[in-house]
Amino acid sequence: MIRTPLRYHRPRTPDEASALLVEHRGDVAVLGGGTQLLPQMNRDQVHVGHLVDLRGLGLRRIEVTDDQVVVEALVTYADVLLSRDLSRAAPHLRRVAHGVTGGRQIRNTGTLAGSACFAMPGSDMPAALVGIDAILRLHGPDGAREVRAADFYVDAFTTVLRPGEFVLAITIPRTAARTGYCKVKHSSGSWPIATATARRLDGSATVTLGSVHATPLHVDVSDLASNGPVDRAALADRVRSALPAPWTDVLAPGDYRARIAGVVAARAFSELEGVPA
Amino acid sequence: MTQSPPRPRPRDDGEATTPPPFAVTPEVDGDTAVDREPAPGRLHPLRRDGDLLLTGRAEFLDDIALPGLLHAAVLRSPHAHARVLRVDATAARQARGVRAVLAPEDADAQAAPLPAFFEPSIVGGKTSTFRILAGTKVTYVGEAVAAVAAETLADAEAALELIEVEYEVLPAVVDAEDALAPGAPLVFGEWGDNLLAVFPFAEGDAAAAVAAAPHRLSGELHTQRHHTAPMETRGYIASWDRAGRLTFWGSTQNPHPLRTNLSTVLGLPEDRIRVIATRLGGGFGHKFNGYAEEPLVCLLARAAGGPVKWVETRADALLVGAREFSHRFTVGYDDTGRILGIQDRVVGNIGALGSWGGWSMTFPAGMTFPGPYKVADYDIQSHAVVTNKAPWNGARGYGKETACLALERMVDLIAAERGLDPADVRRVNFIPEDEFPFWTAAKHLDSGNYAGALDKVLALSDYRGLRARQERARAGGRLFGIGLAFELTPEGGDFAGSFVRGYDTSTVRVYPSGAVTVLTGVTSPGTGNETSIAHLVASELGIPSEQVSVVQGDTDTCPYGFGNFTSRSLATGGAAAVLAAREIRDRMSGAAAALLDCAADDLRFADGNVTCVTVPTSSLSFAEVAETVYRRGLAAPGLDQPLLEVTRVDLPHNFHHVPDEQGRFSAYPSYPYSAHVAVVEVDAETGVVDLFEFHAVDDCGNVVSPRFVEGQLYGAISMGIGGALWEHQPYTTDGQPVATQFKHYLTPRAGDLPAIRLDSQHTPSPFTLLGTKGAGESGVGGGLAACVNAVNDALAPLGATAHHLPLNPPNVLAAIDAATNPGGAR
Ligand SMILES: Cc1cc2nc3c(=O)[nH]c(=O)nc-3n(C[C@H](O)[C@H](O)[C@H](O)COP(=O)(O)OP(=O)(O)OC[C@H]3O[C@@H](n4cnc5c(N)ncnc54)[C@H](O)[C@@H]3O)c2cc1C
Repeated sequence: MIRTPLRYHRPRTPDEASALLVEHRGDVAVLGGGTQLLPQMNRDQVHVGHLVDLRGLGLRRIEVTDDQVVVEALVTYADVLLSRDLSRAAPHLRRVAHGVTGGRQIRNTGTLAGSACFAMPGSDMPAALVGIDAILRLHGPDGAREVRAADFYVDAFTTVLRPGEFVLAITIPRTAARTGYCKVKHSSGSWPIATATARRLDGSATVTLGSVHATPLHVDVSDLASNGPVDRAALADRVRSALPAPWTDVLAPGDYRARIAGVVAARAFSELEGVPA
Repeated sequence: MTQSPPRPRPRDDGEATTPPPFAVTPEVDGDTAVDREPAPGRLHPLRRDGDLLLTGRAEFLDDIALPGLLHAAVLRSPHAHARVLRVDATAARQARGVRAVLAPEDADAQAAPLPAFFEPSIVGGKTSTFRILAGTKVTYVGEAVAAVAAETLADAEAALELIEVEYEVLPAVVDAEDALAPGAPLVFGEWGDNLLAVFPFAEGDAAAAVAAAPHRLSGELHTQRHHTAPMETRGYIASWDRAGRLTFWGSTQNPHPLRTNLSTVLGLPEDRIRVIATRLGGGFGHKFNGYAEEPLVCLLARAAGGPVKWVETRADALLVGAREFSHRFTVGYDDTGRILGIQDRVVGNIGALGSWGGWSMTFPAGMTFPGPYKVADYDIQSHAVVTNKAPWNGARGYGKETACLALERMVDLIAAERGLDPADVRRVNFIPEDEFPFWTAAKHLDSGNYAGALDKVLALSDYRGLRARQERARAGGRLFGIGLAFELTPEGGDFAGSFVRGYDTSTVRVYPSGAVTVLTGVTSPGTGNETSIAHLVASELGIPSEQVSVVQGDTDTCPYGFGNFTSRSLATGGAAAVLAAREIRDRMSGAAAALLDCAADDLRFADGNVTCVTVPTSSLSFAEVAETVYRRGLAAPGLDQPLLEVTRVDLPHNFHHVPDEQGRFSAYPSYPYSAHVAVVEVDAETGVVDLFEFHAVDDCGNVVSPRFVEGQLYGAISMGIGGALWEHQPYTTDGQPVATQFKHYLTPRAGDLPAIRLDSQHTPSPFTLLGTKGAGESGVGGGLAACVNAVNDALAPLGATAHHLPLNPPNVLAAIDAATNPGGAR
């Protein structure tokens, strides 16, 4: 049960929201779907006196234009799965959203932005967003700014969000790039243990690994793919050396994650390139 | 209490495709000629309250809302081992909404020590004294130290933070082998060591037989701490009335023994306490009685002057341990794979002892040997070792699953070493069908056709086809594994001296309207036994099932009973209800004979009527007979037994408590068994196991409700699979439990399980009234062992063995690495 007295705020404008976040700095949290935040408050792991609910701002739209997809902060996994436009314009996002577990309750209430902001290493969304070059549109006391997902993550559970700042929307540039994906986890109830989003566009080849490190690990392997598929042995080496301090949690030790990171990366490329691992 | 009311008779537009029901064989149940067919067109009695459950209207403990209900929270030790120097609750008493606070000294002043669910000293084990709140020393993280009742749960939890406890932290021991080492920290200082008990189970001379055997092999097996995880956690509500009478609602499996314990702890006569066991959202042993929170809510309610509820959090539920076993075994065998001798040192890390009963799982863990196999010489030493983890409580499988796992691994290892088919090695070792009843050191096996069940599961799974598929897969470099397991599941145990008893009691009562109520001492954890009991009684009386209600779990109403454990309900309470119904029928026959002028032997009870078979027009409805007995009993000729209420006791007639001249005894009466085939593919690069087929054949003797038995098998096999592959409560080296949520403690979800295919065989028990055997636990060991065997079979081409459970990806990959890259980085 939430043990502390709690004040609920429902601002009507982004500026009001930022003002509240500044005013109660250190004692306030943004409420998205609440699927992470509220259980943590119930378990007495997060204690704040103020909640700022973003629902008064709308923020439930998915907007697809010729050059980008905008996913507003309160868009849920279910919204993503139901949007045909998004499926066409950002199929990778749909695919990753589809793999989020927890049943209907989580899909219907959990938001992509909430997952992005929670910055938990063992979750799906952060690395997926980094892997498709997503940009987070933030709002703060000084107005709006944009941050690349790749620059958003500082450490486990820590982002570059400054006091008073919150995520308004996630934008995903539409490109001709195709992606390959691989995820390893123990069972359907498990957090991801390792994910990889592989991407090739023109001459570039990148892979973004999730859940293997405190923050999403973006690895450029363009030089390993000069003439055809990415060289698998070199890829494994590259991934290994990019991962000096693998993430450990209750489900899997870091050495296991380090051990399979290269495999997961290779499989993502195999899917993308149509070449066996 | 669950009260399943009579229901209106449903329409008889039935289904026609389910297997034949109620396979009660007349040879065994010779005493009755009753027709156990359900209503025409219906092949299985409808589950009672299925509509309430499916529509979310069934009432569970947490749904009970008494006026003025207060909420309890418990302060638990953050240390695995510490002396409690001081508990100061002054500030908490002043906190918002707080109505009562209990520190250890308060509880001690008002309550006696907690009685053990199963007192170890009864079987020669060490023991200790356990209080409701630990005031001198805590022996595990999570041990209750203080408690608060407040107007809201939030207030109660907030007040906990104001209670100051000063601890002197002591060194903790969490590993069983470490705990046995000299100089280990002592969980109970007065014991001198950390060994609660050793249970030996032996026949012949195992050491000599193993030494003389043409071949032998040794190995080690480790199962992780994993337990049951009922969807509904525990919970209790206590309410005192003005006269000082206590009403207690509990999500518990044993309402009557719980009442006895409350009486002992609170010093209150038992008849001043009413315990009502609420509908359970799963039990599995987790809800055996004996927990500190049971009397704790009573003390809080008395101190607060209002009813108090406590509901276990998921993190607290995940503390309650089980099944952390290790085996060190040597087995000797001949060229054909026949086992000549087994030695196994079994060690159970039972956590700190408490008043909970789970430590006793170390007993069946040894007793179950040598399973379905005929082995003249074996020596099993089962050790119960205490550590600074939370204590065990019961867990479906009850230690029998670990014996199954060890035996089935041994058989597969022998097969692999000899190059034999694992099915053939099982076949040469089975106890032959014509040797039952069969004695082992501590079991009198009732009946069995083990080879028949094995053959059936091989056919069901197309075992030969599977081996052919495996050959092709292996040729393609894939790790394809097939795992067999044969599980013997001792059921219905009786431990005289405790409240874990092998008999139970039922009352059948007929009202003037013809309505029938069964009051029974067995309870249901959600398995549906009330439906089966109603059906059995209805069949005896020739009335529709819907005319029979079953009352369970209310100590004010039901005869004293032991509740739910060890798959005992039908062979005890069910059989007692049948005996009582038969006596009722005899009494009503006497009356009907006089009323219809027909010989009592010529009366038939069927279709709601009592009919004279020689003059079929001569008939009365069941209700007319009942009403006439009430209205004219002792007043009309021939109506001289007006009491239409009978209470009977029954049990499986296969207990042997007094050792025979060879020292053999049998505390379990009933021995169902099951044969399993699991099929997996292992991903060599990641260690991920894909379980994609599972087949099982079960033999639990005669079956009353086939779908309920299937339901039990699906659940038990899933539990075994979960234990084989994922479920784990890890501890840090300083004794902190790590899994606090279902995102950490990974039980299988539907998508993780293959469609489990079942078939059955029916070998009746000659010792139970209806020829039934227990049907609630079979499958835990089989699911566990078949999966572990399948993974090991898959890894065979790499020369790897995976003997450290769970076989989750990190552990499987470690096993692969150990074989393919010995001395490698990992
Ligand atoms: C049973 C269960 C299963 C799950 N399974 C998975 C899974 O398989 N994979 C996976 O990746 N995740 C999983 N999750 C986690 C789930 O993805 C996240 O809970 C969800 O996406 C978080 O979104 P939310 O809107 O509920 O966040 P909230 O709980 O509302 O917020 C999470 C955090 O982000 C902050 N926050 C939220 N929105 C914003 C914003 N717009 N700006 C700034 N800060 C914000 C909050 O203050 C809080 O700190 C599971 C969760 C549960 C409970």
